[in-house]
Amino acid sequence: MTTQPVADDDAERKKNRYHFDRHTPDYREKFTDVTAQMLDKCPIAWSDTYGGHWVAAGHSEVFELARSAGHLSNDHDPQHERRGYKGISIPSPDVAFRGGFLEMDPPEQRHYRQLLNPYLSPAAVARWTPLVDEIVRASLNEKIETGRIDFVDDLANIVPAVLTLGMLGIPLKNWDIYVEPIHASVYTSPNSPDIARIQTSRLAMRDDMAAQLAEIRANPRPGLIDALARAEINGSVPPDFELLGIIALLMGGGFDTTTALTARSLEWLSEHPARREQLSAQRGALLDSATEEFLRYFTPAPGDGRTISADCVLAGQEFKEGERVWLSWAMSNRDPAVFPNPNEVDLARTGNRHHSFGLGIHRCIGSNVARMVFKRMVTAVLDRMPDYVCDPAGAEHYQTIGIIQGMKHLPATFTPGPRIGDGLDETIARMQVLVDEEELAAPVTARKGPAVAG
Amino acid sequence: MKVHVDPERCQGHTLCSMIAPALFTLSDEDGHSTAIDGEVPADQESKADEAIRSCPEQAISVIP
Ligand code: SF4
Repeated sequence: MTTQPVADDDAERKKNRYHFDRHTPDYREKFTDVTAQMLDKCPIAWSDTYGGHWVAAGHSEVFELARSAGHLSNDHDPQHERRGYKGISIPSPDVAFRGGFLEMDPPEQRHYRQLLNPYLSPAAVARWTPLVDEIVRASLNEKIETGRIDFVDDLANIVPAVLTLGMLGIPLKNWDIYVEPIHASVYTSPNSPDIARIQTSRLAMRDDMAAQLAEIRANPRPGLIDALARAEINGSVPPDFELLGIIALLMGGGFDTTTALTARSLEWLSEHPARREQLSAQRGALLDSATEEFLRYFTPAPGDGRTISADCVLAGQEFKEGERVWLSWAMSNRDPAVFPNPNEVDLARTGNRHHSFGLGIHRCIGSNVARMVFKRMVTAVLDRMPDYVCDPAGAEHYQTIGIIQGMKHLPATFTPGPRIGDGLDETIARMQVLVDEEELAAPVTARKGPAVAG
Repeated sequence: MKVHVDPERCQGHTLCSMIAPALFTLSDEDGHSTAIDGEVPADQESKADEAIRSCPEQAISVIP
């Protein structure tokens, strides 16, 4: 039997090929080399992994694609009510629900963003700074006399979680119900045997979220959940599973990303003590640019998937409807065409157009939260543990960097110092009173000005 | 020189006002940016330039 060669215009379209698998430990280890190769040879490439998908690595290519919402869809449609698109994860997880407005297209997506922006704008977030400082101070208090801390477990996991719950309108003391499942579900690869156990703990967490939603509906208290509970989107009330998807998105976005950025940055500063001293001494001039540079260099959320929604040519590449695309913020952040010496950390870098919060209409809605919390945690560590040294033997990076480029543990030692004020549990209890009395979680349109932390 | 923020492109990344707070005001509600109306003061020109180079959406332009 002879086989006719199939006339395949795909071969031409997909002539730039790269075997790209970001869920392997190998990719983490070879990230710099893989990135340099792709940027140099194939800033957009076809990869045969995960059912076949495009990978965009070049800065200008990612820029153009991410801002072409008319041709790239975020929609996740597991029930096949529309076109069956698979959302922002590659491979797409086996779930029945989409992940909030990050897996929606306009106009629906825009309605949710407009609803939630007044809780997350720079002015809204600034109101929470005094509370964040209190939680940071108290977290450090728990360890300051011992001379030992795990920056992940004892600081960077706690503060973003407590703040996120506060903004949602969930009792602050519940933070530890949520931290572990969210943390574990991001550092466990979809191929891991552990994934079933984590799915179970995520379901348990969803039960608690559902209880919070019902409670806030029955006894309204301000916060993001209250806004969602009252929402009318496109003229109708969204079903609860949709709202729970959004709450899960806000938690997933609020927790582990800032944790990852903080851990990676603190580890780097420990390895570069002279730069750490410089940052501490010149923080007025350097803290903003250093934060953007750590965001660029460590890119906590390394990318997003999309689906091509209409045949098109973008960034010089021909795409067909239904094809999947991975937009790599992490690789585009190393493009030498935009960032001189891209693999160096330059705390004073200018023109830092990094992609770490994404681009276009889906720009990370929590970017203002992330920056604020990161800066408060890092400066407090510089003040109270200025000589800390991370223990390389105990530092544990996520095995893979497919979802979040984070760390499981980052132990460090430092010269012990005195406690300042009360401990974590007492502080969280006091902050709950502050949140309730000052209605801190109300939208900025209803309540302005920072909290007055006593 | 004058600067202008294209509201269709701006997504509220806030880098412009971080770099040049005297030139860009962010909306309380969504953090999207508006540039000052008048001429950029001479001592702010390099900051304006740096803001333009840093905007991830390339939303800021110079009106000569
Ligand atoms: S940096 Fe650009 S996108 Fe961000 S607020 Fe300013 S103009 Fe808007």
